[in-house]
Amino acid sequence: MSARAFEAFLTHIYMDAGARARFKANPRAEARRAGLSDEECTALENTDWVGLEMAARSFARKRELKRKEHPRNSFKDTLRNLLASFSAPFRRH
Amino acid sequence: MAAEGVEAVAAEAAVVAEADTMNELQDRVGLGWRADLAAGIFSHLEYIDLLEVVADDFFGAPRQIRALKTLASQVSVVLHGVGMGLASSVPVETKRLEKMARLVEQVRPEFWSEHLAFVRGGGIEIGHLAATPRTADTLEGAAENLSRAAALVGSKPIVENIATLIDPPGSNLSESAWISGILASADCDLLLDLHNVYANGLNHGYDPKAFLPQIPAARFRAIHIAGGKFISAPDGSQRLLDDHLHDVPDPVFELLEEAAALSPNPLTVILERDGAYPSMDCLLAQVELARQALARGRARRTVSQEVLV
Repeated sequence: MSARAFEAFLTHIYMDAGARARFKANPRAEARRAGLSDEECTALENTDWVGLEMAARSFARKRELKRKEHPRNSFKDTLRNLLASFSAPFRRH
Repeated sequence: MAAEGVEAVAAEAAVVAEADTMNELQDRVGLGWRADLAAGIFSHLEYIDLLEVVADDFFGAPRQIRALKTLASQVSVVLHGVGMGLASSVPVETKRLEKMARLVEQVRPEFWSEHLAFVRGGGIEIGHLAATPRTADTLEGAAENLSRAAALVGSKPIVENIATLIDPPGSNLSESAWISGILASADCDLLLDLHNVYANGLNHGYDPKAFLPQIPAARFRAIHIAGGKFISAPDGSQRLLDDHLHDVPDPVFELLEEAAALSPNPLTVILERDGAYPSMDCLLAQVELARQALARGRARRTVSQEVLV
């Protein structure tokens, strides 16, 4: 498994509250489902849970601010994210 | 006082005076350019050594670039990127580097900078700077991205440490070891954000003052100072959010003094403020406090060098 997949998984749990809740409920299973290695699954079991929730909320606030201040760029990001989500390995289940 | 004592005090005063002179010649203090501050900045240019402009705001905006070139003809300008995601195992997008290259070519800043962060994963944009897992893989990825950036833009960026509310999952290197490793591998200088050091120290349990000597001071080239606020965590604890909406707290000025005492090179200090703008007098007072902190640090550095000799 690659560092690239690990970053993609982190992005997923920062962005998607449902995925975050599933990950918190069963971190190893969710990390395993994303194809991460045993070592990475173990690392994720030791996640800073308080920090995860705070960071995710902070990112959401930043996106909302960006949507208001730079609607054109924000629209591009939203469209790009939508397209990327069709090919993402982390599908809602 | 004995004659020897008087001589010692006089010698120290001379050293401090010399440091002050050096400081005036070398270190600079400026502001982050924000449109809301434009009128205040233009009417107080004599107190501002330079301006830092967010590069991404000017990508693909020819009219704004013309205005930026006009600005750059009146005051020193440096460019600051926020969207590349250089500290990642994912190669930085060529189109973003090309945009920066075009802007650098047009504006000809003294330097450009970017963050040691990742901003997207799996093709999804996070919309802000996320702390990269600190591993050998991401260190190598960052170094490769910095090498590509230097090749495409034509100059190396100065890289900035970021603030993070979460201790980045999967990390097996300390923040200082990871940053130092990237600086060495990519042969880049550091934009040392002192409020980020302060916030990370408080949030993740280390002493911010002890952090600074762990990074090679010869790499310090620019410094950010800013303020933030404490926010409540779901468990009732508090963490410091680096929101750039508050005045610079005293501990950050103390860190600035430390950085100046350590650095052998001229420093460019930028006060960042992104909203809840106070009066220009209040911002300029913080600029002045930064100058005083630099002078104190330089005086300490000079005195310690004299002792070594």
